[in-house]
Amino acid sequence: MEIQTLSRARRLLLLYCSFFRITALVVGGGLAMLPVIEEIFVNKHKLLTREELLDMTALTQTVPGIIAINSAVYIGMKIASVPGAIAAAAGAVTPPFTVILIIASFFPRLDPKNRYLLGVFAGIRAAVTGMILVTGCRMFRRTVRTPLEIAVVLIFFVLAIMKVSPALLILAAVPFGWCYVWWQTRRLAQAEANADASKNTETTSNNSENGEGGK
Amino acid sequence: MNHCIVLFFQFCKFSVLCFGGGYMLIPLLTAEYVDKEQVLTMSEFGNLCSVAQVTPGPVGLNTATYVGYVNEGFFGALAASLGLIVPTILIGCSAAAGINRWKDTFLVNGMLKGTRLAAVALIMFAVTIFLGMSVFTQTIPWEAFGALFKFERPVLPEGFRVSPAGILICGVTVVLMLKTKLPTTALLLGAAAAGAILSAWF
Repeated sequence: MEIQTLSRARRLLLLYCSFFRITALVVGGGLAMLPVIEEIFVNKHKLLTREELLDMTALTQTVPGIIAINSAVYIGMKIASVPGAIAAAAGAVTPPFTVILIIASFFPRLDPKNRYLLGVFAGIRAAVTGMILVTGCRMFRRTVRTPLEIAVVLIFFVLAIMKVSPALLILAAVPFGWCYVWWQTRRLAQAEANADASKNTETTSNNSENGEGGK
Repeated sequence: MNHCIVLFFQFCKFSVLCFGGGYMLIPLLTAEYVDKEQVLTMSEFGNLCSVAQVTPGPVGLNTATYVGYVNEGFFGALAASLGLIVPTILIGCSAAAGINRWKDTFLVNGMLKGTRLAAVALIMFAVTIFLGMSVFTQTIPWEAFGALFKFERPVLPEGFRVSPAGILICGVTVVLMLKTKLPTTALLLGAAAAGAILSAWF
């Protein structure tokens, strides 16, 4: 395994440089980085297996935080423990930080007066609207299944429109989730108990029918 | 300096609350910096998101750097970016140690179920924020629609109308995303060009 031949310092440097390269070159962030991560860490340096990367992808989408940083931290953690996580995160942050600082210092206020530049911004905003819409719909289809869940999403949505702080909504969703899961498991257990009970009565009634038929 | 510390902790909060990817930051950021503190206008925020989308790097980080810079210059940008990362590293280090023990517990499952439902709702909300900056010419006037409950015609504010270029580009983007496998970069560049060309007419 190559992982043994790379010294600790080399591994940290590799993590920093790889994530520097990934966020410097990949536009769109988040899941768009996955193929590049696979190329560098799985195929080229063999520091991760494909399965580990898949587990990592699932994990980075469940823990809070930006997916890009999550991936950097968990891969860094896996390859070189806590210093690795810090090196990878630092690498991921450096390019966007620098690029945005340069842009921000050239355009102190992002309010262009040029008609065509305004058009460019308007065009990108319209495209971003479509992208968020598609992402939102995919998320809706993946997570929302029962009418009750649809109702809950709608209530949260209306509350957000009524200017309830989004932070508060997310915090409120946690105890709600506990109640919901508790209620679901209890209902499932009850349904199973009922099913068992009805199976028992069915068999007994069948027996009695058979008994009558026998007479 | 004090303000930098405030920024750091604000972004720590956003990072911890950001379930389901960078788009979740949109409602959190607009609530804090457009509605409450008013350091950014809605159109600036929209332009900022546009820049964040076309420059390399995760959208969340780009936005954090810019918001920090607008607030407090270089150190503000640094504080905001660090604020976004530090909680992730802390959670990552503790999660990696105990993730297998915690994965299928009632507490974690319930939390994920609840926050995912809230995340779906908040992303739908993010869509309405963006609709107000692209397909419509102004923020959607929800108060006006309150009139519908009294069976009256909603009085829309002057200047609130559908932008033809916006609805065209948005629609084409949705269709292309669903029907083709074009990379986002291509879609964004196309949209930028289309926006510039269409701005000559509308």
